[in-house]
Amino acid sequence: MRYPQRRGRLSVPGRTVLLATAAMVVATTLVACGGQSDSAPKAPATIPELTKDPLTLSFIWFDWPPAHALETFANAEYTKLRPNVTVKVKTVPNANWHDAMFTQFAAHKTDFDIPILDSQHIGEAVTNGNILDITDFVKKNIDVKAYNPYLLAAYGQFPQAETGKRDENASLYGLPLLGDTWTMIYRKDLIGDKPPQTWDEMISVAEKCQADNPGVSGLAFHQANGSDAAAVTYNTVNGVYGGNLWNPKTRKINGVLNDAAGHEAMDVLVNKMKPLTAKGSGNWFIDEVNAAVAQGKACIAFNWIAASGGLLDPKQSTLGTTREQILDKLGFATLPSQKTNLVPLGGMGMHVSAYSPEANQAEALSFMKWFEQADIQKKWAAAGGVPSRTDALESPEFLDAAPFNQVYTDSVPRMRDMWNVPEYARLVDIENTNVNAALNGAKTPKEALDDIAKEQQSVLDAAGGKGGGGL
Amino acid sequence: MAVSVDEAVSTRPARDRGSPARRFGGRGRSALEVTLLTVLAAVMLFPVLWMIETSIKENRDVYAIPAKFFDFKVTMDHYKDVFVASGSGRSTLSAAFLNSVVVAGASTALATVLGVPAAWAYSRFAMKAKKDQLFFILSTRFMPPVVVVIPIFLMYRQVGLIDSKLGLILIYAAFNVPFTIWMMKGFVDEVPAEYEDAAMLDGYTRLQAFWRYTLPLLLPGIAATAVFALIFSWNEFVFAIFLTSSDSVRTAPPAIAGLIGGTTVDWGLVAAASVVFALPVLVFAYLVRKHLVAGVTLGAVRR
Amino acid sequence: MSDSAPLTTDQPGQVASATPPAPGRSRRLSDRGLAVAFTSPALLLLLAMSVFPLLWALYLSFTDYSATRGGPAQFVGFGNYTAILASEQVHLRALTTLVYVVGAVTLQTVLGFAIAYLISRRTRGRGLLTTLFLVPMMLSPVVVGLFWRFMLDAQFGVVNSMLGSIGLGQVEWLTGQRTALISLILVDTWQWTPFIMLIALAGLTAVPRYLYEAASIDRASEWFRFRTITLPLVWPLLLIAVLFRAIEAFRLFDLVYILTSGGPGVSTETLSFHVYKVAFLGFNTGTASAYGILMILVVIILTQLYLRYLNKLKED
Repeated sequence: MRYPQRRGRLSVPGRTVLLATAAMVVATTLVACGGQSDSAPKAPATIPELTKDPLTLSFIWFDWPPAHALETFANAEYTKLRPNVTVKVKTVPNANWHDAMFTQFAAHKTDFDIPILDSQHIGEAVTNGNILDITDFVKKNIDVKAYNPYLLAAYGQFPQAETGKRDENASLYGLPLLGDTWTMIYRKDLIGDKPPQTWDEMISVAEKCQADNPGVSGLAFHQANGSDAAAVTYNTVNGVYGGNLWNPKTRKINGVLNDAAGHEAMDVLVNKMKPLTAKGSGNWFIDEVNAAVAQGKACIAFNWIAASGGLLDPKQSTLGTTREQILDKLGFATLPSQKTNLVPLGGMGMHVSAYSPEANQAEALSFMKWFEQADIQKKWAAAGGVPSRTDALESPEFLDAAPFNQVYTDSVPRMRDMWNVPEYARLVDIENTNVNAALNGAKTPKEALDDIAKEQQSVLDAAGGKGGGGL
Repeated sequence: MAVSVDEAVSTRPARDRGSPARRFGGRGRSALEVTLLTVLAAVMLFPVLWMIETSIKENRDVYAIPAKFFDFKVTMDHYKDVFVASGSGRSTLSAAFLNSVVVAGASTALATVLGVPAAWAYSRFAMKAKKDQLFFILSTRFMPPVVVVIPIFLMYRQVGLIDSKLGLILIYAAFNVPFTIWMMKGFVDEVPAEYEDAAMLDGYTRLQAFWRYTLPLLLPGIAATAVFALIFSWNEFVFAIFLTSSDSVRTAPPAIAGLIGGTTVDWGLVAAASVVFALPVLVFAYLVRKHLVAGVTLGAVRR
Repeated sequence: MSDSAPLTTDQPGQVASATPPAPGRSRRLSDRGLAVAFTSPALLLLLAMSVFPLLWALYLSFTDYSATRGGPAQFVGFGNYTAILASEQVHLRALTTLVYVVGAVTLQTVLGFAIAYLISRRTRGRGLLTTLFLVPMMLSPVVVGLFWRFMLDAQFGVVNSMLGSIGLGQVEWLTGQRTALISLILVDTWQWTPFIMLIALAGLTAVPRYLYEAASIDRASEWFRFRTITLPLVWPLLLIAVLFRAIEAFRLFDLVYILTSGGPGVSTETLSFHVYKVAFLGFNTGTASAYGILMILVVIILTQLYLRYLNKLKED
């Protein structure tokens, strides 16, 4: 800052320049001392000897019921094996989840040992060397045959696996913690017991239901421009209508995302589905969709399974005064299919922070090995979690725990994920804001989709360009 | 100077009084003005009242359409939830309130300790480019937080201050020091330097004179200044959300913001937490109402 | 409000001008040392926490440094600056910010001054009225943002509920392309009108009464008195308040973050919000630093204006 009203002596700009130069020298030195780009460090194949001293094993996740369930479950069960360990699940607001983890990664100092990363965050974390390569550990300690290969790949593999597959030669950086996908929530009392089977049928059923029931909207789904809300919605419709998000081999988005199928999907979303939603629902995410269902304001809704537990709580609901009454009205089904039967892959894996102390890293590996055992996975299912092992997914412990769990088990072979490249945060923001703009009439569907493809492509093309760009 | 709100609003005869010719037309106009004021006051206050009302409603009634203004069941559950966790023990919100108390308190103390002596020095001594120094000091307060947080983040990362209370205390103190200096300089200016000169004739040093004679006279001003610094630190959001991530450090504003964006939103709890959060500020603001004009303009306008 | 005597005894109406008691009347050698000892700790804190970070940002703004990707920073000259100044995305945010700042500050000034004028004409209940009007200003932007988001909800929000009961349809306050920005302006106006009101009120009550009395004898019209006496006397103070608000509005981040997150699309993304996205979503630290420096330049210009008027006011 400078104030020109001065006489004599060295002019302010002159002094500022001097000061600036001095500070820059200091700053350069500090920056140079900063982190080097290192490839992911490796975890040992066998778990090192664990400490007998008291130890707190810290997770970081966003604030939602599964996070609290995990803390309770781990403290009740894992301590049977390791009585000196306390498990702490730190929670941050959903909107800050990525920032909270990656700003700490960037600091090369984390106050958590096990970051619970979204599957799409892996690329960024691996490229920056923030999480341990656990390939050897998995080979030695985890029964990989017990999983649907794509589930194992989605939460751990980088570079990304092809949809539905796993590349056995690729490295693994994480293990599944909580599986998730969208469920269709429908009002049995309004549209009947049988859920619609195709996307077109779903839309016409919703249309009729809305017309027959004033005050109730046909549909409710995520439209917000934060997190990955609107992006997942478009990606889901895109998948169902046979579109592709990108070509991973050629790294092409422009021309792939906005091909005929892509445009059809955007048209369906904006021109057929959006008119059936409540007015002003253009900023809805998980909680608003849940509120609409609980208030009896939606015929058909889509939400993440792991976030649906609250719907059965009579205290939050006007649909009934007991869980049974609510379940008389609410049905949960797998998503309708159209040209394909793809559903969005949700959920998160657990990973090991490269910056946590060795004793904690060893404990984290021990926890992961323990957590992925068949009987523990079943207990996790009974405690409200969504397991990933096939045996646990088919166990009565899981299937009977909640009415939507069968939906998850049925959906596992149908899942598709987004890109997990290091530029994920930028890609998803571009898609979110543009889909949100299209849903709220700020852009035409065609314009929005072409903008997404063009902008995402330029982000991918500029990849490796470090901290420039990004506007 | 220093017209306080009290003075500004003290009862003075209306200007039109004594002009009988105008009185008749004045009455109709006066009624219109009162109505206008009432409507404006109602609009300004309604959100606050609605917040209080929501905080004592059951969640069912919160979502009621059309909105329920009077016929709802009163519950104190939301206030209980602010302090007590669902099982038992302290809630994370109450921990955040405690963090806020520590951070706001310590940063205010630091800003006061650094700012008051500086203000005194700026008021009493001839200094090179004093005006420029003072303006420079004030302008650091105008930096956009979201811009400042980028280099602060990098700097804290080097020295390990990210996600620490000390980090927040330092940055809040840095934002409060300019305010403290400007605000306090006004108060010091009002204490005649002759007091100190007299003391010095009695053989005290300048420092002793400041300590024994000036400082006690400044105490009310210091209290008012500290309260404004406290309010700023208490309400601050941008630094808090970017520089903290754990429950043991997070202050109340990001904690309250974190109440939405989960799987369900408990608006009753949001309202109750907001009321609890805002209450101390309103009380403090009432206590320093005499200095509000100076306080809200960072001490720049003193009338 | 109590009628306790104000701390200071100066006559009302006199503009702040207390010249410090002739400095160094009994200057001793130690005075200079004392001045340095008393001011340097505060200045050091400011240097460390404000100046140094800004210079660091200035340095980074000429590089392609990324806070997460590591590696040494490469100098890119003015590359980041030209990219920002040429970017249509930035132009769009600048326009949004301009509309927001001008809209919000104008509305606040008109409303705030009107309320102050009305209050200044009351004889009774002024203390109570002023106190009540000041409440919104004291709330944290977080509380304000959250609560308005709740009240402006198109479905169950109380605003639409009231509009509905008088027969008006639902308004998409936060999700319409135009209405979202209007909502942002309205909420900011709700919170900050009291600020203008408070300062305008201080100005209005400071207008010497004899001026009115003189005018009254001259049978001057109400409007004439307002235009020739009230406004010119209150204007300098009001200008300070307006500039102050403009700087604050330009810096605005928290309200956008909570109320709309920049939506729908990017139609309520202000410059501050865009900087945040560049800095913390992509971690394009170099670009974000340049962006921030450019914003600071704008703030510096506004601050200069502010300080100039402040100075003028003090010297009058």
